[in-house]
Amino acid sequence: MNNRVARCSMFVTPTNPRFIDKAWTRGGDVYILDIEDSIAPAEKERCRSLIRESIPKANQGGASIYVRVNKPFVDADLPCSVWPGVDRIMLPKTESAAEMRHAHEIISRLEKERGVPAGTIELSPMIESALGAVNIHEILTATPRKIWSMGGGGGYDMAVNLGIEMFANFDQYAFPVAYVALAAMALGIEATGGVFVHNASGRVDQSEQAVKQAVALHAAGIHHAGALHPAFVQPLVSGLSPAQDEISWADGVIEEYDKLTDAGESIGMLATKVIDKYEYDMAERTLDWAAACAAKDKYKARALSRADTGIAPGPGETRP
Amino acid sequence: MPKYIRRSLFSLPIEDPRLGEKSYAAWADAIILDFVKQPGRDWQQDLKSRMPAAIHEAAKGGAEVFVRINSDASAAELESTVFCGISGVVLKGVNGPGDINNASQCLDVLEKSRGITGGSLEIDVEVNTAAGVWNSLEIARASQRFGTFTVNEHELCRNLGMFPGPVLEFEPLEYIKSQLITVATSVGGQAQGMSYPLSLTQENAGDEEFGKAVRRARDTGFKGAVCPHASWIKVCNEGFRPSSEEVSYYLKVREVFAEGLKRGMASVPIDGKMIDVPVDLRARLYLEWADRAQARDAEKAQAHEKPAA
Repeated sequence: MNNRVARCSMFVTPTNPRFIDKAWTRGGDVYILDIEDSIAPAEKERCRSLIRESIPKANQGGASIYVRVNKPFVDADLPCSVWPGVDRIMLPKTESAAEMRHAHEIISRLEKERGVPAGTIELSPMIESALGAVNIHEILTATPRKIWSMGGGGGYDMAVNLGIEMFANFDQYAFPVAYVALAAMALGIEATGGVFVHNASGRVDQSEQAVKQAVALHAAGIHHAGALHPAFVQPLVSGLSPAQDEISWADGVIEEYDKLTDAGESIGMLATKVIDKYEYDMAERTLDWAAACAAKDKYKARALSRADTGIAPGPGETRP
Repeated sequence: MPKYIRRSLFSLPIEDPRLGEKSYAAWADAIILDFVKQPGRDWQQDLKSRMPAAIHEAAKGGAEVFVRINSDASAAELESTVFCGISGVVLKGVNGPGDINNASQCLDVLEKSRGITGGSLEIDVEVNTAAGVWNSLEIARASQRFGTFTVNEHELCRNLGMFPGPVLEFEPLEYIKSQLITVATSVGGQAQGMSYPLSLTQENAGDEEFGKAVRRARDTGFKGAVCPHASWIKVCNEGFRPSSEEVSYYLKVREVFAEGLKRGMASVPIDGKMIDVPVDLRARLYLEWADRAQARDAEKAQAHEKPAA
């Protein structure tokens, strides 16, 4: 299973049929089935019981499925969350390596019991406190589980922990977000979010804010972001994919640089720009990401088509 | 949320003949006592003879009292200045955890010999070097006594080779400030500082302009500031706490969220903003913070019922 492409991950509340039945039509790359903060305490148990049946509902558009558990109830939440079809467990408010190891052990046991290939479910810490941020490296290296992307160090919970009011017109998480992103990148994990985009209103339902966010993230080479509202899905999915002119430019750079190296040279020109190894590497990255996005989009399109026509997925079909 | 309600810290020299009067009139949450080693005299003996009275004078307005110490001479300076009545020391020029360990060991001995509750004296760190920033996590974790980081921006700029003038359109130490705030919070402490450029110019910018600077400092995560003038104190006391508008808003948040929970919803909107568990938690903590700030003001008011002299 490959969950690399997660341009937009949107939270969904399994206890609300209106949300869970409709989420897959939004076109997100990832749906996060939430047992944590969007679920009222009295609803937690019912929510746990709904996770397994929510997986095929939420992924019928080809999206990856994550489950966000509760830090204080991880022992109760994980047995209700680790099922075939789940790609990642999100561990909120992680502050130590010990918390990661504990969750890893439970997930490993459940994978074995439930016929999920060992080690394939990702375990992603959510960094939502100052302590979690400063301990990020030991948290990320605590278990052998692979994760493709992660971010953190900002958001509501971090604001509570730091005692700040969110939505100021400057980057209030300059250190924790950058520190978490750098630790992730140093370990070969792609960063999620992490670029400050002013949101004066604090609203989470305005698509123009999502467009601004996508432009800033794309410029910073970050391909992944989260959403709380469907209005964010399409702007993020399209804004974090390479545009056709970027792909054409990258193709041209590769072609031109190959000619240069064949001629024993290392620097040349394409249009009015200098082409060298740096541009070549950047072009390769663009094409690599474009190919990953195209594969994901194709998979989603086929899944949507099947969902529309009611045809069941082919046996052994794997997602890109 | 803040561990300490310490919104305004005002520095005064112990040599000031009007120390008590100024401390009383300042209404600062904390007074930091500075001293000069008088040439040609036994400075240690001189300080020892003056400190108890100076501490008493500084506390007259209900402020906590601290003494600023140089970390490179901490043993002798602590021995000369630590007496009953101080809340802790501000250690200047700290470059690594060893500086904290040394000071902490000295305080262990002094607390025992001078009738101060063991482990009660706090060590606050004034950061003024790149090494201090780089080692901030080890410094904050070096002792249970660690309380706060204070950013001394003038000296830090000098150490970093930065021009300390207000010429930039952005906050040049944004990352460093955020780092110190994050690290202090990670060990249960807090950080004090001001936003650029007033952090460097230290001007009296007028209440409205200064109020905005305090708001930005609070939004950065600072819980108070060292005030170069008495004129900063009132605005800091009002600004480094939830405003009355915020208190009203968070009361509404708690009410709306509680109603949502009764309907089985843990996520409810107010004016397009999502109100969920962490927002409700923040509302509760902000309201507690406001109550604690109010209680601190009441303590100081009580101290002011006694005459200054």
